[in-house]
Amino acid sequence: MDIKTLEEKCVFHRKKVLETCLRAETGHVTSSLSCIEILITLYYKNYIRQNPNDPNDDDRDRFILSKAQASPLLYAILADLGYYDLGELDKFAQKDGIFGVHLQHTVPGVESTAGALGHGLGLAAGIALRAKMDRKLYLTYTLLGDGELYEGSIWESMKFASHHNLNNLVGIIDRNYLCTTDFTENIVELEPLTDKIEAFGWNCIRIDGHNLEELDKAFANLRSRPSRKPTMIICDTVKGKGLDVMSFKPLCHGIPPKGEDAEKAKKELGI
Amino acid sequence: MKTQRDTFWDTLFELAKKDRDIIVISADMGAPSLDKFRTELPHQFINTGIAEQNTILVGSGLAKEGKKVFVYAIASFLTLNCVEKIRVQNAMMNIPLNIVGVGAGFSYPDSGPTHHLLEDIAVMRSMPNIDTLSITDATMAQAVAENYGSYTNTKYIRLERQPLGEIYNETKDISFEDGMTEIFKGEDTLVIANGVMLLKAHKLIKEHKLKCGLLDIYQIPINSKKLVEVASQYKRIVTIEETFLPGGFGSAVLESLNDHELSIPVKRIGIPIEKGFCYEYGGRDEILKYYGITEESILADITKGL
Repeated sequence: MDIKTLEEKCVFHRKKVLETCLRAETGHVTSSLSCIEILITLYYKNYIRQNPNDPNDDDRDRFILSKAQASPLLYAILADLGYYDLGELDKFAQKDGIFGVHLQHTVPGVESTAGALGHGLGLAAGIALRAKMDRKLYLTYTLLGDGELYEGSIWESMKFASHHNLNNLVGIIDRNYLCTTDFTENIVELEPLTDKIEAFGWNCIRIDGHNLEELDKAFANLRSRPSRKPTMIICDTVKGKGLDVMSFKPLCHGIPPKGEDAEKAKKELGI
Repeated sequence: MKTQRDTFWDTLFELAKKDRDIIVISADMGAPSLDKFRTELPHQFINTGIAEQNTILVGSGLAKEGKKVFVYAIASFLTLNCVEKIRVQNAMMNIPLNIVGVGAGFSYPDSGPTHHLLEDIAVMRSMPNIDTLSITDATMAQAVAENYGSYTNTKYIRLERQPLGEIYNETKDISFEDGMTEIFKGEDTLVIANGVMLLKAHKLIKEHKLKCGLLDIYQIPINSKKLVEVASQYKRIVTIEETFLPGGFGSAVLESLNDHELSIPVKRIGIPIEKGFCYEYGGRDEILKYYGITEESILADITKGL
């Protein structure tokens, strides 16, 4: 898929996320918008190799969405790929819907239930270790939020993965610098993040998480396993990217815009 | 006498030699019986270090992909430090993991209250898709290991640290299928327990030639139908546990009886929460004494009204 088509997909999903959350009056708009280009690249450039007609294929790549706040985005992508009807998005967090605000493993194409943070990396490490044990060639990806890095279990799993040379494990950090109440560097400093991750024995790449070309380059060679180490890709992003009314602002987590802000947001995205 | 722990791991080791999908993960917990895994089956043994939450997560990842995983550590750390990990991975997603914890109750008497395990029954039974197997003796530990292939949900296998006694070793063809075993049939009073307290009650009943019944309920959630079947033959019940009383084993028995509207007076013996944690030393009996539980007091509670 060429860049232009990927960009169109980004526009489509940005709108879809906003529409879905506005309709449901719930859901994490800003957390989804910060990782749109990341997930679009992974899924539409076929870096995550899966077959919607065979969701349990043992050779599929695994994707663990640890920052489950971005579920409106993942649900929309999985629908667009054919796992289920796009109309399911209209029932997001509704009585007759198949999914809600966080992530559930019962949805086709979703590997794990999530919502509590600090789980994804360890779970992904176990899945990747199993591939090593059984000589399976699939890759295991997991997308973490930067606020999630405050969870101690992430660092337990980080040490474990490098010790076991899990070069079939790819961690991605959506580095949008914001938790719910404040910027990470005001809460408890996370930087220098690359140094910390490298010190835990990982390859660490840092890129612009909204730049499709940089993302493509970062994911391009992972399947050839250039090193014994697992790879972490820190993606610098903007929480709420594309929506001036809620981008890079504290206290915009987990709530869709309302009233005038909602109208402004729709206008910005061309809805 | 072999410990429950060594019997469990020795049994599993023989099974693991034939089943490469058996994976043992220790959170820096050693045992001679585990050393065999490390040296002879290194591809089926992982030491995660003192990182219990990661142990549960990695174990769940492996189990999600079809491995038969046994995670192992001191029981209080493996359960209470990991409740939310277990809740999401194992209770919510129903990824079947075998959580093997050693150190039930006051199994580590001299280690102080961080190692005393008094809340696990209440905590683990409050979540769906998890069966607690509170192991009574080594024969039962062996059976629980042997049955691994049939487990479709998470088992919390709760082991004693020291060898305390055997009651099932001379019993032929014991199935451990009902989640409970009626060890003695008796009159009037039925004593219900598991693990160390079952052994204690067993000894008292034999020594004093008491005519009460003895029921070993080692699986929680309790098989209520079977419990009601047994309990309805008695006038009075005494439960004994080495955990805090609120929400614990005796509570589980009470709930089962109540849900079946069976009105039998129940006396619960266990750790009174008002007494808090214990900083006494000098062995398990000294600690129990601190909480007002002695052989004499148990005997008095069992024989009351007889």
